[in-house]
Amino acid sequence: MAPTRSMFLRILWKLLGASRGRLGLALVALASGAAVCSALLNVNLDAEKKLTQEFRTLGANVVVAPPNTGADAALTDAAVMDRIAALHAPQIIAATPFLYVAANSGTQPVILAGTWFDQAAKMNSWWKVEGSWVTSADDRSDCMAGRAAARQLGLALGSRVELRSGGHNISLKVAGIVTTGAAEDSQIFTGLGVAQNLAGLPGKVSLVQISVSGTTLEIEAVTSRLAVALTGLDVRPVRQIAAAEGSILGRIRGLIFWTIALILVLSMLGVLASMAALAMERSRDVGLMKALGGSVPRIMRLFLAEAGALGVLGGTIGFFAGALLARWIGGRVFGVAVSPRLEVFPVTIALTVAVALAGALPLRLLGRVRPAEILRGSE
Amino acid sequence: MAPLVQVENLEKRFGDVCALDRVSFEIEAGEWIAIMGPSGSGKTSLINILGGLDQPTGGRVVVDGQEIGHLAERELTRYRSDKIGFVFQQFHLVPYLTAVENVMLAQYFHSITDEKEAVEALKRVGLGDRLNHVPAQLSGGEQQRVAIARALINHPKLILADEPTGNLDEANEAVILELLRELHSSGHTILVVTHSQVIGNLADRRVELEHGHLARIHVSSVGKELR
Repeated sequence: MAPTRSMFLRILWKLLGASRGRLGLALVALASGAAVCSALLNVNLDAEKKLTQEFRTLGANVVVAPPNTGADAALTDAAVMDRIAALHAPQIIAATPFLYVAANSGTQPVILAGTWFDQAAKMNSWWKVEGSWVTSADDRSDCMAGRAAARQLGLALGSRVELRSGGHNISLKVAGIVTTGAAEDSQIFTGLGVAQNLAGLPGKVSLVQISVSGTTLEIEAVTSRLAVALTGLDVRPVRQIAAAEGSILGRIRGLIFWTIALILVLSMLGVLASMAALAMERSRDVGLMKALGGSVPRIMRLFLAEAGALGVLGGTIGFFAGALLARWIGGRVFGVAVSPRLEVFPVTIALTVAVALAGALPLRLLGRVRPAEILRGSE
Repeated sequence: MAPLVQVENLEKRFGDVCALDRVSFEIEAGEWIAIMGPSGSGKTSLINILGGLDQPTGGRVVVDGQEIGHLAERELTRYRSDKIGFVFQQFHLVPYLTAVENVMLAQYFHSITDEKEAVEALKRVGLGDRLNHVPAQLSGGEQQRVAIARALINHPKLILADEPTGNLDEANEAVILELLRELHSSGHTILVVTHSQVIGNLADRRVELEHGHLARIHVSSVGKELR
């Protein structure tokens, strides 16, 4: 190492050890700010993933249906499910076919919705179910009844319901009563095969509901792929859901950004207070250094390097403390610990160093110290 | 051969106050000059201007062929680093650096550091066993010897000492005076601001200031009053 650089580091090391109290306070301010920033950045990166997973329990956000020709209810082949599966899109959390059939129970008309129960359960875990979900995809002996339909038909858990459509009859046991607050409350849910047989529409479905995870852009990308793969069918994102999800994510991002900005400003004020006191202590040393022939940039480089080193140290401590904080926040908010992301480390360090340098503004004023001051006392 | 220092009609004003009023004298290379006078006589203003820490409001100061009266801040910094060695009354060592690091600090601001040379400089002033002590672990006399080693390390043209024994007891004063004598005999040019008649008598010449005027110059060796 060049002797001059070695001396620079030697002085820097001594500077860091010289005012441990004040520098310690500045370090605490920097590390605390860095910890909160690191935690929020980690949460921000993870929140999107976690939230989109949460959103995906709230129902479908993409619907595939045959084009509406204005005639009878349009149907498509159930083979559409194979074409969706063939996409191998990891963003597709669940795809549920529905065949809607107009049926009767006794003299009462009722809408029958044939579906794959396992996929419907995965997509709609928010449904309030009294009793239990039917677990088999295409169960042929059980059904689930919407709350309003059950009331209308006088159904209770474990009771049997007789259904008739197009000359076919079937008797099913009510395994669960569903409350959604929407159209599902008036429907009876059966396995897809049951509905197809009853309606005499084997291999047909009315529509497919799909739950796609990811950001708005990712959802749009999957929608485009689906549209290409399912030529002749309408692939429609459920705009309200996508927009609401995007809006929530945007607000969370904004909240995190402004919180980080505020925390950094507060940290900087903490550093500023310590550095102002330090500048008073150091004015004599700076006067002496100038008298010895030290140029202002060369002297300032020492003090700014000191602030920078403090920033790196504070940022490193803050990053690890923030990772722990993020785990805790993740556990409390999402029920799952947020894993620390390595890409947050350089961002935390850069932000903390910037704050340390901004907080070291009073040290920069030392450049104005007049060395003649320290020669006073002879007259 | 031109004198090392030429001071011609030097003036320094602070508003209406005239700290130095048309002061003129010269210093030959290798000379030991004592600047004496009561408080407020202009000694500090003079040493500040000669050391490049302040600038005159009138007159001319030439040191080693360089007129320093109107140098820019950056050139003054270079001048201080290259040509001047300071010794202060209050020692002015950096408290968190060791003795050898304090000497190396002057090297650092001058060009490159050489720890061996700094150690040698401290050995020359009798501090070979105190190299790694910080100022708080050194006596006043020892601190002043570190300051002298620091002043010499860059081989300055002119050593400016401001009351170098002002804060020392008699024993340490004797040590510092002996060091100054050695520096003088080895050819260094020294300008000492002092109230001490003892130091004044050791110098080749005594420049006496009164109310900013040059009152008189004594040549010690012959005791002759020049003005």
